Amino acid sequence: MKNTKFSILTLAVLLAGFLMISCDSLLDVDPQQSIDESDALSTPGNVQAALVGAYSQHRTGSQYGGRYMMLPDLLADAGDIAWTGTFFQPREVFDKVISADNSYTQSVWVGSYNTINRVNNVLSALDILDEQDRVRVEAESRFLRAAAHFELVRVFAKAYNDGNPTQNPGVPIVLTPTRGIDESSFLPRATVEEVYQAVIADLTFAKNNLPEANGVFANTFVASAFLARVHFMRGEYAQAATEATRVIGSGRYSLMPTFAGAFNNDGNVAETVYGMVVTPQDGTNELNLFYASSDFNGRGDIDILDQHLARYEAGDARADFFYTGGGARRSAKWQTFTNIPVIRLAELYLTRAESNLRAGTATGDSPASDLNAIRTRAGLAPLAAADVTVDAVLAERRVELAFEGHLLHDLKRTGRSIGDIPFNAAQLVYPIPQREMEVNPNLVQNPGYGN
Amino acid sequence: MMHRVILLGLMLFCLLSGSAFAQTYTLSGTVTDSRSGEALIGVNIFVTELSGGATTDLEGRYEIPLSPGTYSLVVTYIGYRTQTTEVTITDSNVSRNFSLVLDRVDLDQVVVVGFGTRSLRDVTGSIATVSGEMIQNTPVNTLESAIQGRVAGIFIERETGKLGGATQVRIRGGSSVTGGNQPLYVIDGIPVTMDDLSANASATNPLSDINQNDIESIEILRDASAAAIYGSRASNGVILITTKRGREGRTQFSYSFQAGISEPTNQRGFLNTAEFFELYEEAARNRAIDDGVDPEVWLGLFYEDMEWLSAGEFRQFADGSWGWRDGVVDTNWEKEAFQSAGMFRHELSARGGNDRTRFFVSGSYSDETGILINNDFERIGARINLDHTVNDRFLIGMNLSTNRSVMNRLSSDNAFATPMQLVAQPPVTPIFDPRTCFDENEETIPGCTPILSGDFTEYYNGLLHRDYADYVTTVFRTIGGAYGDFRVSPNLNIRTEYGIDLLTQNEDQYYGALTARGVGGNEGQGLGFSRWVQIQNWTSQTFATYQNTFQDVHDLEVVGGFSAQRVTDTRSFVEGRGFPNDNFRRIASAAEIIGGSSSGSDYSFISYFSRLNYKYDEKYLLSLSGRVDGSSRFGVDNRYGFFPAASVGWIISEESFMRNATYFDLLKLRASYGITGNAAIGNFASRGLFSGTSYAGFSGINPSQSPNPDLRWEQTAQFDLGIDFGILGNRIRVEADYYVKNTRDLLLNVNVPATTGFTSQLRNVGKLENRGFEFTVNTFNLTGELQWTSNFNFTTNNNKITDLDGQVITAGFINRAIEGQPIGVFFTREYAGVDPETGSALYFVNSGDNPRETTTNPANATEVIVGDPNPDFIGGFGNNFFYKGIELNVLFQFVYGNDVYMPSGRFMSANAWFYDNQTKDQLKRWRQPGDVTDVPRPVLFRANGTAPSSRYIEDGSYLRLKNVTLAYNLPSAFLSNYGLDRMRVYFTGVNLLTFTKYPGWDPEVNTDFLAGNISQGTEFYSAPQARSFTFGIDIGF
Repeated sequence: MKNTKFSILTLAVLLAGFLMISCDSLLDVDPQQSIDESDALSTPGNVQAALVGAYSQHRTGSQYGGRYMMLPDLLADAGDIAWTGTFFQPREVFDKVISADNSYTQSVWVGSYNTINRVNNVLSALDILDEQDRVRVEAESRFLRAAAHFELVRVFAKAYNDGNPTQNPGVPIVLTPTRGIDESSFLPRATVEEVYQAVIADLTFAKNNLPEANGVFANTFVASAFLARVHFMRGEYAQAATEATRVIGSGRYSLMPTFAGAFNNDGNVAETVYGMVVTPQDGTNELNLFYASSDFNGRGDIDILDQHLARYEAGDARADFFYTGGGARRSAKWQTFTNIPVIRLAELYLTRAESNLRAGTATGDSPASDLNAIRTRAGLAPLAAADVTVDAVLAERRVELAFEGHLLHDLKRTGRSIGDIPFNAAQLVYPIPQREMEVNPNLVQNPGYGN
Repeated sequence: MMHRVILLGLMLFCLLSGSAFAQTYTLSGTVTDSRSGEALIGVNIFVTELSGGATTDLEGRYEIPLSPGTYSLVVTYIGYRTQTTEVTITDSNVSRNFSLVLDRVDLDQVVVVGFGTRSLRDVTGSIATVSGEMIQNTPVNTLESAIQGRVAGIFIERETGKLGGATQVRIRGGSSVTGGNQPLYVIDGIPVTMDDLSANASATNPLSDINQNDIESIEILRDASAAAIYGSRASNGVILITTKRGREGRTQFSYSFQAGISEPTNQRGFLNTAEFFELYEEAARNRAIDDGVDPEVWLGLFYEDMEWLSAGEFRQFADGSWGWRDGVVDTNWEKEAFQSAGMFRHELSARGGNDRTRFFVSGSYSDETGILINNDFERIGARINLDHTVNDRFLIGMNLSTNRSVMNRLSSDNAFATPMQLVAQPPVTPIFDPRTCFDENEETIPGCTPILSGDFTEYYNGLLHRDYADYVTTVFRTIGGAYGDFRVSPNLNIRTEYGIDLLTQNEDQYYGALTARGVGGNEGQGLGFSRWVQIQNWTSQTFATYQNTFQDVHDLEVVGGFSAQRVTDTRSFVEGRGFPNDNFRRIASAAEIIGGSSSGSDYSFISYFSRLNYKYDEKYLLSLSGRVDGSSRFGVDNRYGFFPAASVGWIISEESFMRNATYFDLLKLRASYGITGNAAIGNFASRGLFSGTSYAGFSGINPSQSPNPDLRWEQTAQFDLGIDFGILGNRIRVEADYYVKNTRDLLLNVNVPATTGFTSQLRNVGKLENRGFEFTVNTFNLTGELQWTSNFNFTTNNNKITDLDGQVITAGFINRAIEGQPIGVFFTREYAGVDPETGSALYFVNSGDNPRETTTNPANATEVIVGDPNPDFIGGFGNNFFYKGIELNVLFQFVYGNDVYMPSGRFMSANAWFYDNQTKDQLKRWRQPGDVTDVPRPVLFRANGTAPSSRYIEDGSYLRLKNVTLAYNLPSAFLSNYGLDRMRVYFTGVNLLTFTKYPGWDPEVNTDFLAGNISQGTEFYSAPQARSFTFGIDIGF
């Protein structure tokens, strides 16, 4: 009797053990925060979500969340600012001695190509989309891809006006999504000209197919504003003026009544042609992080020196747009952790003024009235038409657009030196990231960085 | 065993009753271990005159009926020194107790192996055992620290001196480059959760939830033969922890109390204000010379900055004196990082039972204050282990431990807020802002208490964290299991075990408004963060054991079974901003919720395992084992793996030709070969995945991982050759092993061109090798009144990466994995010292035709391998002395031949580059042509020798007096008057002395925020280890 009882018990124990594990299904575990690649781009909703995914990379700190603007400004400085922070990567940029393994310049490369791959994934699945969304999604995607290629070629390659752009190596152009790693993954650098042509092709498509209104996402005027930048870099002033006019003339944007009003806003304001949305829950603003003092959530790593203040005329309201924090003068442009204006209407006025001056045209409006629109907003007297020279516009650009990522590109395209460093010095071009050189034998390093 | 005792007792009874013609009296008493006071069971008390005697029972008691006369007694017990004495019986019962002294290694010691136990003599694998007694009451925060230096083949390194922080444990070297390298920990049959669950980069240690005094033994399975039964998780070795169980006999209570103090092992010393000015004024003048300007330009700037950094204390007073020159501010910020530290611990346990039910219960409470400000650790826990004999065939039982620990934790080493970063503040900066007590005339208001310095400090003042922030981590850990053990026949046993490890961790962080500068997102409003993580880890295993002896010479044991495990990890957090004041620290009081998330992840294993042990004639040993492991982590194309191992042993000393070679008490050769795996990879690493993201309030998805359906476990083939021998009556016992571990199919995050949108892909490429030698010798040097035993262990491990598919993997600051090199070598510029003519730092070019040419431009110096964080050898040397109840244990531990990189030197030993306070050695800077020094010419704000280079690499070898314990065991004769079995009072010192050339805080270091397989040997504002002095008392009753 007793034995029977225990035999049954044994059996029960054994059975329980078997039941627990006899089925393989225990091994079928799915992730909870991700979906399989094969399901990812299978519905229209998912493809649209993938486009949002591309924006979410486009706005990170490595790109329009900060480094597209901050690093060129550090590299272009000759005594207006001081990098006083402890991070040595931005300091290397500021000192104009960038290591090939500098993780900040590397992040610009890595982040930008990540955006491009996200975009190419979207572009590979356009068929899935409903008719009414397809063209817009394609145009937005190509805009994002163009912006990334453009920012890359501006910093990782020689300036367009430095030597022969059809021979100077630019950056790899990537137009297809990555599905696996194979031989096609090891791309060489296209020439500077080829990259610019790819950028122009994408932006032109975007301009022609984007709607006029598209919420916080890129619209047709954003594409035009970027085209204005692209043509400006290429010295194609007539086209630059035309694109700028298209934005200014759209009537969608207007200068804020005050200079200060253009910054530190929770949303995009009338002057913002294109801005990155930053909220406490979502977004990065590295300009705030590095420019603002610790009272304003920043590290206070960039001091504004007297030399910069000397660039402002007496009475210029913009000269007051500074504050003292952490023992030094700080720019008030990036005082709060809020939206980042990437393109302000003011830039397009100045771009058009300079383009018209250089081209001897008056597309849209006269250089004087464009320039004076900016000056009067800053509380300055308008300049007489005779005084509106290219130099005057460049001087205006320098103060109006300071710390917004323009200086390096403005100096390069106009062939001006940075202190005593000529615009085409090797040290003013970022190194191709060392990790990339090590992994891709088809790349050539920029001059001055070994190899 | 038990049967034999009873049988022998019966026989004796019969024998003695036969001769009971005269009046008899009783000789009785107990036999105990001279050190622990514990009863010894089965001790033979031999009465020479009778040619017989008795053995002690379960409580160590014996009784012998004797007629009057004089007898000589011989008391023998395996492993203990034999005692002889005379006793005279006249006309009454006589009581005689014996206290036996440990004599030599017990060869019949039973060790725990996976799914069973085995006699040490018959073990063919490489297993090291640490008894619970050895680590009992060691006043260290986690049990890994307690075994540091005690066992060969295992390298244990605490990352920093933070309490509750992570410890790196490597058994026979790291077998992986990107997968896990920690061993598998199995507690009472349950593979426990070892994940770091910290919300910040400073890892926590899940083993700190284990009460080390509950441990009966720790077995470290080093070779493939021992470990392969754990299959795909055994490549890094397995650590089996067995907790104490009940024993039949009188209930024995044990109470212990400890209290101690601790302090950092070292303080470096930084410049004081006068030295700081000397150095920086020179740096400013040098800068002016280089710029070709008036010295006043740069001195002026420097003074202006100092005025700011000294919060006005640097100002010139009305009488013309300067604040700093009169020593108004001379802050030793390093001192501020530390606090007076101490600990106490109470513990009560009871152990006992009868022939049906046996139990062990314990409860403990400890409270430790760390050496760093804001760091403490409190733990309360309880355990019950229960075994019940249902009948002679069926045994059931359970074990359950539950713990709650509360830690005040610190920011990771790279955060300004971490206490050690206080050293960066210049000495002119006062701790309290004097300006907050100035009136409008800038005169000090008498009696005013200034508030902590905030915004004007060079860097965020971490003391604000001490006063206005907290980071409380609470861990609830329950590990429990139940088993049923059924003897089907005398030879066949079936056992089923179910276990669960439930780990719940809560982290509550609060940062008051005043910490804004040091806390991103605070915005001067206060920031709160609350996070819950729970890991549910259940295991089930059933296995059968068959044991038999055929024809007296063939001993066979076969184990076979299966197991399943599933681990579910769920997490959630919420973050809020805007608190009314520092009294409100919960997110309920936050004005704005600024973040929140929840997530989950799972993995599972299904395994089938078997082992066969065969012994022929006590001489020839064979062991075969195998395991089939399936895991949800592996790619669909490679879901199951097979992990076999085989080993042989030859006990030569049992051979007839050795019988006369009496000098060998044991001579055994062992050899094993087997394959194990490493499955410590991400849960879904094989899949092509898209993850969720968002922008501007819109949800999005993005490609997050490129697929690799072939992904599988890493595979390690390990060969081990060992010899064990004992000579001179086993007073010298040696164990030596040589091993070669070849790992292939390394899981590598292979770098891919970033132009693909990905930076790496996890693949099975690459190979690495660990080969090494382990040597352990235990000696009983003196066995008389004064006992002296020694343990010396010595380990070498040579790690070499043999194939990385042409990759170079970078990690940490300058660590690399490079083919042909040990993992983690330091790769950077080679510092060539200082040019005696100019004071400029020089680097070797290391390229071109003349590689030994030097350059002042770091960009022109090619990076090369300049150091290796892996030690050449490690070991320990322990000596235990015992004399009449006085015990002295002295353990030295050593690590030799490893380098340590100090990237923090780029700030703190940077010849006055920035205003970071400098280490004292920077005063030896170059000053004028002809000066020969290692410290370049200081030039304010201009880098001179501060690029990453071998300048900041130092030899991290050390010899440490790890543990000294002086104890006194009160005589049992005295104690029995008070009803006590034993009482031991002791003093223990940990890390009392460290002998090293390392100039940093402590050579046992690996900065917490980077520590990993490749990132090793880096100090970055890392806290030194603690030196502690502890007093304790142990009472048994």
